Amino acid sequence: MEQFNIKRIGSFIYRDIILLKGAILTTLSVASAIFFIVFLFSLRGDHQISSGEFMSIFGKFYIALGVLFIFSTFKEAHNQKSNHLYFSLPVSSYERIAAAWLSTFVVYTLVFSILGFLVGQITIILGSMFSETNFHLLPIFSESYWQLVKVYFVIQPVFLYGAIAFNKNRVGKTLLVVVLLVFGLIVLNMMLFGMLNYGYDVFSGEGLASEAFDKTGQDFSGMGKGFFMGIFVPLMLLASYFKIVEKEV
Amino acid sequence: MIQIKDLRFYYPKSKIILDNITLDFIPGNIYGLFGKNGEGKSTLMKIMTGLLFPKAGYYRVLGENISGRNVKCLQDIFMVPEDFELPGLKISTYEQVNSPFYPRFSRDQFYKLIEEFKLSTDENISTLSFGNKKKVLIAFGIATNTKLLLMDEPTNGLDIPSKSQFRKIMALAVDEGKCIIISTHQVRDLHSLINHVVILDQSKVAFDQPLSNVSEHLWFGKPRRDTKESIIYSETSFGGKAMLFREDRDETEVDLELLFNAVLSESNRINNALNTFHDGTI
Repeated sequence: MEQFNIKRIGSFIYRDIILLKGAILTTLSVASAIFFIVFLFSLRGDHQISSGEFMSIFGKFYIALGVLFIFSTFKEAHNQKSNHLYFSLPVSSYERIAAAWLSTFVVYTLVFSILGFLVGQITIILGSMFSETNFHLLPIFSESYWQLVKVYFVIQPVFLYGAIAFNKNRVGKTLLVVVLLVFGLIVLNMMLFGMLNYGYDVFSGEGLASEAFDKTGQDFSGMGKGFFMGIFVPLMLLASYFKIVEKEV
Repeated sequence: MIQIKDLRFYYPKSKIILDNITLDFIPGNIYGLFGKNGEGKSTLMKIMTGLLFPKAGYYRVLGENISGRNVKCLQDIFMVPEDFELPGLKISTYEQVNSPFYPRFSRDQFYKLIEEFKLSTDENISTLSFGNKKKVLIAFGIATNTKLLLMDEPTNGLDIPSKSQFRKIMALAVDEGKCIIISTHQVRDLHSLINHVVILDQSKVAFDQPLSNVSEHLWFGKPRRDTKESIIYSETSFGGKAMLFREDRDETEVDLELLFNAVLSESNRINNALNTFHDGTI
């Protein structure tokens, strides 16, 4: 297909990474240094880094840096002096979105997880050389790790859309939209709950209501989340595609 | 190659920039797109590259509606913008990351042009002057070997020797299958390079003629006193240059600056005369 070429997507990802090479290396170096210091502190006491300790620091950086990476990827498209060259590059809008998704979700998750693992493992090796730490493999693939990746998988397209749609103060505007959206969903949820349960005299603040929510969450969470991700993520990617199609310099 | 009919464009909450523009750009030519500042030259170039979408009118670039930014179409278009920012990469790295998108890109040609412009491939683009950055982009644009090459004020920022070097390089770059459009308000810079003139004035096409037609029917120089009646336009400065109907005089080199100024003040008279000659009625 002339509008969707895997090789071209690869070249576009490579181009993006080379253009952001300096920023990426600096950010990863700083993150590595922070990881190393925190992991050293984690080795005190029980002489090991648990998955919980790994996730407490990894989780703080993974989403925040991921969001910044998304916005950096589209910086060229919003710069008045470079957007001519960006949009006239023979890459289709499908390929631009595919490349952005692959680099800011798949490649980023892989690279950042490997970095976290390597820094943790190096810390363990150094600990075992200079202290009483027993050598062990860093347990990164915990349930909370996959939970975090799932959260990023859902929010990534929202920020991708924001990174394309807004020209100025893109991070702030996207966060504001997300906050308003969440707030709107909470209000809608409360209204629906009130309307549907009015006849039973059960209100959302009551213990019975929260118990019912918990049970519903347990019963339908897998299916509901799957449905939500299956609809929401492609929908946001589609919206991002249309946004890039209609973008002018 | 490019067909534009009744094209109209305006920015939101702004006056009309381009109004009823009808133009036809044919391969094998180097077009000079002239106009005063703010006459819509850059806007027209952006529309032809698919970077802006017109509000009305018919336009096809290489047979396609360029607003769709079709990859096949974009592979045959390269634009050197007036003002741009290149990434802080080595010239060779810049070529490596951008050339895979252009199927007919010639690395040999690119590096030869870089050498000709007296630049080193190991130089970091961010350390170069604006003029040298422009040379990198011009070299890259020529090496893409796209059918359509658009240049917006390419000589801005170039020093005097580089301007003549640019003319030489561009003259070698054109072939039968290629169309080059150069927009500028410094008409002298394109002296002896272009073979077709398009002038925009007051949002419209004020002049659209091949230079061969201009030199065949118009005469440029210092007229004799007895030829005052046939003067179409004259300037008292620069020793009293004037533009006349050629009639039986020897052919002269087209003075682009004089032609440009003449069109801005006497466009109807000049167009009517040239069209009449062209149609063979005179």
